Amino acid sequence: MIDLVQNTIDGVMIGSSYGLLALGFTLIFGVMRRLNLSYGPSIMIGGYVGTVLYVQYGAGPLAVAGTMILGAAIAGIYVERLCFAPMRMGAGIASMVSSFAIWMQLEQAAILVLPRHTYPFPPLTTGAPLEWGPFLLRLDHLIMLGCALGLTAAIQFALYRTRFGLALRAIIGNPVAAHLVGINVSVAVMLAFAAASAIGGVAGFLVLSVDQQVTPMFGMWATLKGLIAMMIGGLGSIPGAILGGLLLGVVEAHCQWYFGPQIRDLAAYIVLFVFLLVHPGGLLGRAPGSDIAAPRTP
Amino acid sequence: MDDYLIGVLSNIGVISFIALSAYVLLLTGEISFGQQAFFAIGAYAAGIATALWGWPLAAAIVWGAAIGAGSAILVGVPTLRLHGLYFAIATLAFAEMVRILFELLRYQVLIDGEWVGPNGADGFRNIRYIFENDISSLQFMILIYAVLVATLSMFLLLERSRLGVIFRMIGEDETLAGLQGISVARHKVLAAGIGGALAGIGGGLYAHLTTYIEPRSFDVMLGVHSLAYGLIGGLGTAFGPLLGVLIDIGLLEAIRALAGYRMIIFGGLVAILLIIRPRGLLDEKLVHKIGRMWRLILPRGGRVKLGPSGEKI
Repeated sequence: MIDLVQNTIDGVMIGSSYGLLALGFTLIFGVMRRLNLSYGPSIMIGGYVGTVLYVQYGAGPLAVAGTMILGAAIAGIYVERLCFAPMRMGAGIASMVSSFAIWMQLEQAAILVLPRHTYPFPPLTTGAPLEWGPFLLRLDHLIMLGCALGLTAAIQFALYRTRFGLALRAIIGNPVAAHLVGINVSVAVMLAFAAASAIGGVAGFLVLSVDQQVTPMFGMWATLKGLIAMMIGGLGSIPGAILGGLLLGVVEAHCQWYFGPQIRDLAAYIVLFVFLLVHPGGLLGRAPGSDIAAPRTP
Repeated sequence: MDDYLIGVLSNIGVISFIALSAYVLLLTGEISFGQQAFFAIGAYAAGIATALWGWPLAAAIVWGAAIGAGSAILVGVPTLRLHGLYFAIATLAFAEMVRILFELLRYQVLIDGEWVGPNGADGFRNIRYIFENDISSLQFMILIYAVLVATLSMFLLLERSRLGVIFRMIGEDETLAGLQGISVARHKVLAAGIGGALAGIGGGLYAHLTTYIEPRSFDVMLGVHSLAYGLIGGLGTAFGPLLGVLIDIGLLEAIRALAGYRMIIFGGLVAILLIIRPRGLLDEKLVHKIGRMWRLILPRGGRVKLGPSGEKI
């Protein structure tokens, strides 16, 4: 029983990082109706900038976090300008494949600059875990959960209570009409993209500081986990992204404990597959209707 | 020919099959991230058939293709109700499930005092058919290309047939195709089955080419690459995905001097190419233009006219 609860707690904590990854992903998807495969690799680039700062200049965790988030946002803007901005209308598959090509490029760039397989990453906290009855709570995990909930609220607020959010929602509704009422669609989309990558950067920093290392494989990991959590939670839904991440985390934690890492990964994909077949809208998303392969109606 | 060139060319030939397999689904407007699953299934099925059951190679390849097609149809029936991204992610989930299941698959038989067969994550060693039967690597390369040419000719016939027209029509506008009385679901499942068979053939050849397969080789990277080939090469003709493979593997091998920078150059080139030509180098317009020029040279008898729903008139 203690194991069960402890695993659930750990799952919720790890799941909050999946939720954060999904949050950035779903923001990009919501605005662009396009899948950005380079999402994880952009975060990985941020991580590499962070580790350089840490290893070469001995920067503290906060400075590393700042540069990592900035690095991820800049990499995100690069991806948007090259893969998405030139083909805003139609050509959804082309954007996706193009973002895959840039993924390969970013990964190679990271390996070129730092050729060793793993690099150290600063831990956020080094204290002993908090004890709460028979259960253990890691401080960095709690920060992760706090960030996930805080950022979800912030995004929700920004989308529904600010002028920029209003502009984004107008673009989501109809980009041509948004353009006609004077919204600078190109800039707004680029900023949304940068914000999404920055959220990914926060998630990436939290995960890497728990792992205390960064490898080139982190890009693929982040893309896949974000994608699974986003689809389980419901495509385009912001609270759904967090819920999907938490569910994924809890399922993974239990499967890891009882059956080992292979079954853990298998279970994640089974949950995703079953959700897509039975309830493709996910936990909180709307039922699928729009098709990324089809051009958006002008 | 030196061994290196044979190796590269054999690789191009084998990968062409999985590129074609992703291309069939692209024709019907569906993106699959999961064709590597059927490639893996074909590879394991054919490898088990020759190494463990002592089947001849031809039978094993056909078996791999059949299993590939069968599993693609089984997965296609429930997943093809989904569209676009939902279908793409469902195929991705399926392919990763298959990969992990192969990591758990242990099926070994004692042959000549040695355990042979899939051994979980350690892979499946000693698929020694081509050594045991004294097939040189050059001969095997010729075999790969013979199968590829045969497949490709069938494929080109298919593209010119009523079925090919229906596939493209579904890809253009599913609703309209449905209104014309075409069973969209059935044709998509058929396309998935053809794709599964193609990937299965490729997988069977791959297993015998490398003599060693492991689940790790069939990861998402392979799937996304095979999808990208069609888009780089062009969606206008079956030569498109082949051109994509040729550009990727051929060009990258050619510029080995740039070792550390090759993905940087290649990734950038692909991104720029897709801005200029979002449907690839050999896109429908270019293929149509080439076809028109071709028909100007050829006598009138060589033309095939198509009626509104694709029948010959």
